[in-house]
Amino acid sequence: MKYQRVSGDAVEYEVFARKTRVEPLHQVGSVVAPDDDLAMAYARATYDEERWCEMAIVRKDDVIRLWSPGEA
Amino acid sequence: MSLSDLVLSLADNKQMLGLRYAEWATRAPSLEADIAAAAMGLDDLGHSRVLYGCLEPLGVDPRGPERESDPASLRNLAYFDDPWTEWSQFVAANAILDTAFTVMIEACVGGSVDVLQQRLRKMLLEERYHFLHGRSWLRSGIDTEPLLRAWREAIEWFEGKLSLGPAELRARLEERLEMKPPPVTSDWKGWDPIRRRARPGSIDAHTFGMLRGLEEKKYAPPTAKQAAPRA
Repeated sequence: MKYQRVSGDAVEYEVFARKTRVEPLHQVGSVVAPDDDLAMAYARATYDEERWCEMAIVRKDDVIRLWSPGEA
Repeated sequence: MSLSDLVLSLADNKQMLGLRYAEWATRAPSLEADIAAAAMGLDDLGHSRVLYGCLEPLGVDPRGPERESDPASLRNLAYFDDPWTEWSQFVAANAILDTAFTVMIEACVGGSVDVLQQRLRKMLLEERYHFLHGRSWLRSGIDTEPLLRAWREAIEWFEGKLSLGPAELRARLEERLEMKPPPVTSDWKGWDPIRRRARPGSIDAHTFGMLRGLEEKKYAPPTAKQAAPRA
């Protein structure tokens, strides 16, 4: 069975950020939280070590995958 | 009650809030909550340093030598006197007291004193995430006792002559939290206008020693006392 960090009502969120406007957003990690507000607070607290000019979170379940590792 | 007295009250409360947050950095319900406790602790300790730094430009620094020896001379709320033993106490402080301090900081930033307008603005950006954290945990439900206590102490802290009246500050807090306070009664006879609290008391001896740097000596090995200074 595939490992999942989430349990109960918790949701996994992917965290994206970039340091400058000219670079694309890239994934910097993930957080687990029961709602969007807490996920924002956790993402900011957890990935605060850099001076990001932008940070965004996306529910992992909302990501539409075209293919996964090993399927290409 | 001067503006400096209010800023010192904010500074002392932010310092204690930061310390109490930090104490939960390895005890919160999840890894993310641990990290958030540590990050919010750092934020609020930083805010307290900025606030202490505003006292000199304000022209009056109410800090006297008694702060070195008497923990009751610190202006923190009674809520921070002792370490929190329950997560609900953390959540109530995070949601209600931290937001009450933010409401006051917003009033300072929107006021007419340049040094406060300029130096306190960045705090509001950081406090946005404290608020999201506190409100979300509050909505998930907490014990009644810390909730009542936090509301009561926030209302007591708003009391006094300020540019914004207690009723307006309280209304802003209610609006922000989207809730009315539960019925709370304060002992106004015992209300101290300098410490902005109704209960006597002070922070615990360990925390006071830590603030003064005395606790660090306990961790020095005995041999350190005999060590000769380097040439």
